[in-house]
Amino acid sequence: MADWNLTTARHLLRRTGFGATRADAQTLLDRHATLAGAVDELLDFKPSKFKPGGRSIEDIHNKWVKYMIKTRQPLQERLVLFWHDHFATSNDKVDDVDLMAQQNRLLRINCKGDFRALVKAVNRDAAMMEFLDTVDNRKRQPNENYARELMELFTLGVLAPTPDSGGQSANYTQEDIVQIARAFTGWDYNDKGVAELNENRHDKGDADEDWNPPRGPKVIFKQRGGFNDANGQSFDAGTDWAAEIDNVIDIIFQHRYGPNGNQRVTVADYVARRLITYFALGTPSTSFVHAVVDASGFAGTWSIEALLRALFNHDDFYLTAVAPGPATAKSVKWPIDYVVSTLRLLRMKLKSKYQYVSGGDYATIRDQLINMGQLLFEPPSVFGWDWDLAWASSATMLARYNFARDVTAARDGGGSSFRPERLIDLSLTDPGDIVDAVTDLLGIDDQLTTADRNACIAYLGAGSIDLDDYDVRNRKLHGLVCVLLQSPIYQLQ
Amino acid sequence: MAITRRQFLQRAGMATAGGLFGPQLFRNPLLSQALASTIGDRYFVVLFLDGGNDGLNTIVPVTGALRAPYEAARLTGAGGLRIVNPLVPNAGPAFLDPNTGGQLGFHPGLAGLRDLYEQNMLAVIQGCGYPEYSLSHEQARSIWERGNPFGTLSNGWMGRYLEAPSSGYLGSDIPAVNIGDSVAGEYLQSATSVLVFDRLNDFGFPYDDYYDDDYAAKDALFSALHANAAASGNSFMQYLSGTGASTLTAAQQYPELHDQYIADRLSWSQAYTDSDAPGLNTSTARGLREVAKVIYGVARGTIPSNLRARFFQLHNGGYDTHSNQGAEETDGDHFLLHQEIAQSIKLFYQDLADMASGAPMGSGLQNLPDKVVLVVWSEFSRRIQQNDNGTDHGSQGPMLVVGGPNAINGGIYGNHPDIANTDDNGNTPYSQNNGDGFRSTDFRDVYGTIMKHWLGLANPSPIFPLDSTVGLLGDEYWNTANFNLPFL
Repeated sequence: MADWNLTTARHLLRRTGFGATRADAQTLLDRHATLAGAVDELLDFKPSKFKPGGRSIEDIHNKWVKYMIKTRQPLQERLVLFWHDHFATSNDKVDDVDLMAQQNRLLRINCKGDFRALVKAVNRDAAMMEFLDTVDNRKRQPNENYARELMELFTLGVLAPTPDSGGQSANYTQEDIVQIARAFTGWDYNDKGVAELNENRHDKGDADEDWNPPRGPKVIFKQRGGFNDANGQSFDAGTDWAAEIDNVIDIIFQHRYGPNGNQRVTVADYVARRLITYFALGTPSTSFVHAVVDASGFAGTWSIEALLRALFNHDDFYLTAVAPGPATAKSVKWPIDYVVSTLRLLRMKLKSKYQYVSGGDYATIRDQLINMGQLLFEPPSVFGWDWDLAWASSATMLARYNFARDVTAARDGGGSSFRPERLIDLSLTDPGDIVDAVTDLLGIDDQLTTADRNACIAYLGAGSIDLDDYDVRNRKLHGLVCVLLQSPIYQLQ
Repeated sequence: MAITRRQFLQRAGMATAGGLFGPQLFRNPLLSQALASTIGDRYFVVLFLDGGNDGLNTIVPVTGALRAPYEAARLTGAGGLRIVNPLVPNAGPAFLDPNTGGQLGFHPGLAGLRDLYEQNMLAVIQGCGYPEYSLSHEQARSIWERGNPFGTLSNGWMGRYLEAPSSGYLGSDIPAVNIGDSVAGEYLQSATSVLVFDRLNDFGFPYDDYYDDDYAAKDALFSALHANAAASGNSFMQYLSGTGASTLTAAQQYPELHDQYIADRLSWSQAYTDSDAPGLNTSTARGLREVAKVIYGVARGTIPSNLRARFFQLHNGGYDTHSNQGAEETDGDHFLLHQEIAQSIKLFYQDLADMASGAPMGSGLQNLPDKVVLVVWSEFSRRIQQNDNGTDHGSQGPMLVVGGPNAINGGIYGNHPDIANTDDNGNTPYSQNNGDGFRSTDFRDVYGTIMKHWLGLANPSPIFPLDSTVGLLGDEYWNTANFNLPFL
């Protein structure tokens, strides 16, 4: 069990929400005698049924962003973002905003529930069926797209972390993909977006079908998966054709990897590693992953909430709480995290249904996010987004710099203006005190070095600063916040 | 990062002592001696077709032994993918499959590439891949980008080139530009800066002009915080620091390249975005326009020498045609994708030729098409057997190398894949058997050839280490590379 103090409280809030100040952390610390109690509080929410409905992709995008900025359950939205990346689906191909919004609600309702049930629901999710061509998957000409990504990205991964006793690491074969694609033949959805099976297009495996060749018994994992059964695992459900896709999931969730006598449940470690990477650190140790999986019972209950509870209580979760040094494995904020955290910390809203920042280029938040490399509802591919350093190129950093300039230049938008006078104590006159107040506001006071603080003081200028002077206050406070939002340290989670 | 006198001398020494190209390489007085890398006065562009381009409907058998199996697998009628009327070049090298001798043709969307072929400006290298090929987009792409199928190298093959001591680049240099959002996998490395932008026009440091008297103070704070990050010893902070610092520099210098190009070449700029022209006003055309802008400025020496990029990358998505691929109807997905790259590349080389025409003696613009090589790749090809109206993931596919007629030897290289006899995955078999008429081409031989004969690295072997370690099935792989494919 990790320590419970201001540092761990701060880290817990930072990683489960959108920005955290010292005061936020102190409040949480005061409310709970133990870390376990605080973690329980963070996880104790009933997922909302919020659906970002709208007529255009811009509508639903903006509604979701707006929801994130105002939500009292930031952890819920961080989980929906994770699942949106994990089950990446793009409206670029789906081309139906209702289906995209429907999937968003599905991910929210299931965000911390039963992972196996979530995968079964994704099997039948209309947007996913469009995106990975389940709707084009027919018995005579099966389409392998969904079957492949189901294993590669959603549940197993291509390679196991450790090879089996025969030295093999591949989690599945091409034959397994072909077989699983059979289970999904004939699936489509109706005009309400509800999945249904067209049995005429389903591969029933009949020997007397008029197409060739019949593909044999409906089995998977003859060679892989730790079942050690050359006959494979049957997903045949008799004439209950629709049950085959559930059976496939049940079998995949029994897949094991590693040498005989020391096998582990593949799905549990794979998904846990991704969640730990997302919430904790880029390359978690094997022992960290195993400890979280084992302590949570995830491999049996598939409770995401239990997995998160074990994760947030684990020592290694707090390895990256301290300011970055040579050995600290920091993570880079996702663009949406950068934007939402900033607006929440500065207590700013976006303007109109277009959700634009009312300063600088007056760009919409969607355009800002496009330039930062993260367009929600349109991930670049089925792999979702690349994380960490891949977020940081000159193009995407410039977009962050633009956003920082725009928010601090927002002067004429009422509730969407940047008003430092409401955020810090204007009676301060000492440059050091002003810098401390600003870095406190941005939640980076515990991450900056003395050299950083001195550079900020140098920017404000020597001597006593009169923040009552309108021009000084605006020019220097705007400038300081702007450059700090552009600084390397603020890009880190 | 400032260039110290010692580093300057080291690099200057390399430029003259390397001697790979001889003195003619440095005849351009505008070319910085201090920054001369082994590429010299040349440029290199990588175009990635993201999603797995169907190579079997890119270069199509027209006659010969492969046409019948092609027609058996690619159907006609609703959802059918058969190319009935492939484009056969009327000039240039014979467009025949080296193995079967059959006539080959281009997909009808590739008229622009057919035109380049007729001018000896296109080399098609068939059957490119690697053994034990992966059918996962992510894995396959990573293998191509790293150029190291079974090894553990994490940086890109171009990245290893850029950080090689012979290249001599420093963190403060910007030798490469990628068009898009993020650094392309083949350029990943940590020694120097790869600039990434979508549009030069949008590239400029965002100041709050309400307080223009504060710019210098903000720049100083920005630079101080980035310098502190570099000193933190934390690898992420160092990366963010380097990216931020080079972004600030480039944002102050690069927009000028856009302005100059627009000022001098407005009609060409407009041609790339002509929405009435087939294949133009597309992501690829707009991306190549940005490359053209940078090359125009670099060739004229109008930005500081350490910012003169000579290596480029751009990508085009949409090739994962599991469904709605289309055959040769002009509104089909694959047709439009082909048309986009073919027409865009053709216009790009016309633009370069126009820049070169009339350029004064000694100008870096002289003979520009012959100084630019562009290579096109995709992470895999697709299944020969089509599905309902598309194709699933396949094995080897063609690579394209484009360049001026004096830069490359146009023609067809490598054998068309064996579409009559598929492997256990239903794909054309990848063969490394020298005695096999259907012998495949290791993609590293293509890249290695480019590196040796275009990028000037005499021995590319360290960039493409042999997979002498055990492969997935316990065989030794790739022991025949020689980096001497004759397309350059």
